[in-house]
Amino acid sequence: MNLRRFLLRKAVSVIITIFFIASLNFFIFQILPGDPTRVLIPRGGTSNVTGQGLRQQLIHEWGLDLPVAQRFVIYFSNLIQGNFGTSITYRPGIPVLDVIKPRLITTVIMVGIATALTAWFGAIMGRAAGWNRGRPTDVAITMGGLVGYSMPTFWISLVLLFVFAVELRLFPVQGETSLNYRNLDPLGQVLDRAYHLVLPVVTFVISNFAIFTLTLRNSLTDVLTEDYMTTARAKGLTDRGQLRYHAMPNARLPVVTVGAFYFGWVLSGAILIEIVFGFPGLGRLQWDAVLNLDFPLMSGIFLVATLGVVIANAVADVLYIVLDPRVRET
Amino acid sequence: MDARVVRERSSLVWEKLETDLARFRKFLRSLLRNRIALAGLVVVAFFGVLAVVGPVLVGPYPTTFDKDDPLLEPSDRHLLGTDIQGFDNLVILVYGSRISLIIGLVSASVAMVVGTLIGLVGGFYGGALDQMFARFTDFFLVIPWLPFAIVLSVILGPGLTTTITAIAIVSWPTTARIVRSQVLSLRERLFIERARAIGAGNGHILFRHILPNVMPLVFAQAILTISVAIFTEAFLSFFGLGPPGTISWGKMIEDSWSALALLRGMWWYFGPPGLSITLVVLGFSMLSYGLEEVLNPRLKRR
Repeated sequence: MNLRRFLLRKAVSVIITIFFIASLNFFIFQILPGDPTRVLIPRGGTSNVTGQGLRQQLIHEWGLDLPVAQRFVIYFSNLIQGNFGTSITYRPGIPVLDVIKPRLITTVIMVGIATALTAWFGAIMGRAAGWNRGRPTDVAITMGGLVGYSMPTFWISLVLLFVFAVELRLFPVQGETSLNYRNLDPLGQVLDRAYHLVLPVVTFVISNFAIFTLTLRNSLTDVLTEDYMTTARAKGLTDRGQLRYHAMPNARLPVVTVGAFYFGWVLSGAILIEIVFGFPGLGRLQWDAVLNLDFPLMSGIFLVATLGVVIANAVADVLYIVLDPRVRET
Repeated sequence: MDARVVRERSSLVWEKLETDLARFRKFLRSLLRNRIALAGLVVVAFFGVLAVVGPVLVGPYPTTFDKDDPLLEPSDRHLLGTDIQGFDNLVILVYGSRISLIIGLVSASVAMVVGTLIGLVGGFYGGALDQMFARFTDFFLVIPWLPFAIVLSVILGPGLTTTITAIAIVSWPTTARIVRSQVLSLRERLFIERARAIGAGNGHILFRHILPNVMPLVFAQAILTISVAIFTEAFLSFFGLGPPGTISWGKMIEDSWSALALLRGMWWYFGPPGLSITLVVLGFSMLSYGLEEVLNPRLKRR
């Protein structure tokens, strides 16, 4: 397989997908009845002369009086220049991208750490379940995974908060940092952030590890019936050696694909975790945007979240090639 | 048509029906022998029965006249206390099962019909049409589900139809993809070639030979989609974007959260609705999981 050609094709398909997503994002907000000015000008405000004039002025300023096709072109040329529009109610006048950026970093850090831990924990559980298929260990792990997956994310957050923050007072109830964050030394600041991350990350792991565990379990049971596994056993390899050198390299491939496939799902759970834990990330921002009916902000967040998933999928595709031993050795 | 032909035909129909019935019984038996599937079935049946006979147990749909003091602790009068508006939590919980199950069933059905049709037609006819459908499906697959459902709900305005539409739009692509890949392999099988050789048309092959073979897969997927739909409804309600004026488990948790039930230590307020969602979703997931073990011949072999 020609790696360079593969990467090129991947890049082209990503760009095409991004184009369609941006178009969807543009047109979906065209379905809205009326126009965004009604959010800014109170109900009935358009009946008096000032209200009407202000509305006309805004419509003109925002270019809402232009034909849709022209607006579509403007929207795209703005996007390419990194202009995602301007927040209208949540932070009036501030570019959407500037509102999103700090929140995005918070979310990326949280989701990044949590995904890594989930994959690690899920893989350990999946390996144990797959190796012991049909035995009590397998049943316990599979059931545990299904239960974790079946709990609504925000409810896990509530229960963990109730037990560990409200009743036992072991962890903070809200926020990303403590009140005295600014007075802490750098190491203290990192520790403080980590301390606030514990419950959200645990919620994330409980709710998502089943995705990795069940996939790995199933692909491992497939791999274990292969002839080369019999050979490995016949060679006298220990269980550990069989798993490590023969079963796992092939079994973990589907996990990468499935992991990427569920990334959108995982991200959606993160939104709810952020809301319950008062974590100032992208999810919390979307909640605020919805409450304030800030359409440009909503549209910007939706676009950024979707881009995140598209890029994660592309990375997973590349990772698949890199991890596949059959490809690597040629 | 003379009587002999009719008799012959009807006996053929009977034979077919009997083998179908026998096959179904065999399937049911192996499903019930699968402990995970059986447990899932019991849980789902419990909530199904609760949703149907609930009003007999807890009385009619609560109105303003049934209000008590808000946020009461559990007592003999109110086994789970009262909510922020003064309604009995148990009554709300029982009525919540109805809306969760209805939304789950309806939106999953819509998603199944759309997903199956797109997967079936695309996979069967192939060519440019299939390419278009496949790209279309992949495109909807990458869109993160909750942000999209939120944006849709904001734009279409909250309501039962919106919630169902939003859930259906975000959950059909998975089915379409699964059905398509199955159709792609079925299409090349011998019995299709045989049907074509004796002069069967595309429509006949599609609906009489291919559809019945993908149905088990669609069925397992439908059950999974129901649980996703129940989830999504709860999430949207938690976001304040659920159908207004209806009682649902997600709405109940949202109410308890904004009433600070957490800080007041009212576990009986936010606990039961979350537990109910968990049990229903778990029930459906276990059923789907068991179905897959029964239907997937590769897993059966071991």
